[in-house]
Amino acid sequence: MKCSSCGAEIGLTDKVCAHCGRVITENAGYRADLNFYKKDSARTKKKVRQILSENIPMVISSFVMIVLLIAVIAVLYVKGNAYSFREDAARRDSVKNYETYSVIIKDYLDAGDYTGFAAFEENHSIAEWEEPYADLWLLCDMAKEYAYLVSAVESATMFGPDARWYNPESYVRDCRSAIWDFNFEFERRLSDIDADPYRDYIYDMKAKADIIMEVYLGLDEQGREQYFASSDIQQEAYLEEVLIHE
Amino acid sequence: MNKKAIFIISIAVNILLGLMFITMLPGALSSLQFEYVEQETIRPDSIRDYLEREDYGIAASLSRPIRGGADIAKENADYFILGEYAELMFLKEVFAKAGNADTVRSCEDRISAIRNEMSEYGVILDKIDQSVTNAVRESK
Repeated sequence: MKCSSCGAEIGLTDKVCAHCGRVITENAGYRADLNFYKKDSARTKKKVRQILSENIPMVISSFVMIVLLIAVIAVLYVKGNAYSFREDAARRDSVKNYETYSVIIKDYLDAGDYTGFAAFEENHSIAEWEEPYADLWLLCDMAKEYAYLVSAVESATMFGPDARWYNPESYVRDCRSAIWDFNFEFERRLSDIDADPYRDYIYDMKAKADIIMEVYLGLDEQGREQYFASSDIQQEAYLEEVLIHE
Repeated sequence: MNKKAIFIISIAVNILLGLMFITMLPGALSSLQFEYVEQETIRPDSIRDYLEREDYGIAASLSRPIRGGADIAKENADYFILGEYAELMFLKEVFAKAGNADTVRSCEDRISAIRNEMSEYGVILDKIDQSVTNAVRESK
């Protein structure tokens, strides 16, 4: 705005003109408004500070609650997924140690120790369904069936003189089932086995399964033929006769 | 509900959450570190039970992780080694019949090493030997 006396430029809140010294009355309304708003702003700031100070404990408590809630959810998530976390870590390790593990695996296989191989594969979380172990998948599958057969025959045959049999029929059932599973899988996958790079080991596994049946169940080649030609009930009856009644 | 009541409730909830966190944290950490052999199905006390029941075949199959190179806690190693002995005794007959001479030899080496290491379990080892002898039906 301009001074009505000298025409010089003056500010909205100036009380006197800096050029002619005249007391300015035209902007008195602006100055009064400014004072009001300054006081109002100070009052509002004070009020806000007061409200904030009253609510600081509540704000801190809410913050702590959010942090604790996140922590509890994280712990629950870790607990629920610990097995897969550990399995994933072990799988990564197995890939990292591929060269070392390959040598160990070959030692197990060359020794014909397929239960040891199955245990090694399981203990070291070797993922036979993906690279670099993908070529082992059929061998691993058959080794698991073989290990199941060995476990079942061991369980059904090895007892001390004072052993307590709680449920001998279940041993016999498991034994029959494990023998059937291994031989069924072998026959079912025969064309895959013939095309597999580890077929010699799988055939050796089958030969050892036959030997186990011969040595521990009294089934020579002819006996095995008769055994597999018989029904489930007859197979179970044979095993009961050999394992329980003898 | 006034502000004070809400504040008191939030403190109570925080205490509860804090207790939950402190209680669950050790479990979560230990579940991240568990060993394969510590899983429910292969607990060392199961192997001990089966050995005590003279059920050597199950002890042998449960101990198999030791043959796969699993880390076994020192305090449980004896049970696993007894199971390993039982399995080697069982498999030795199979390897012998299959003509795996080298494997039979390494089985025998390990069997005699276990015999020497575990002399205090001589009675159990003798019973395991006998159980395998009785289990062989080939000549019956």
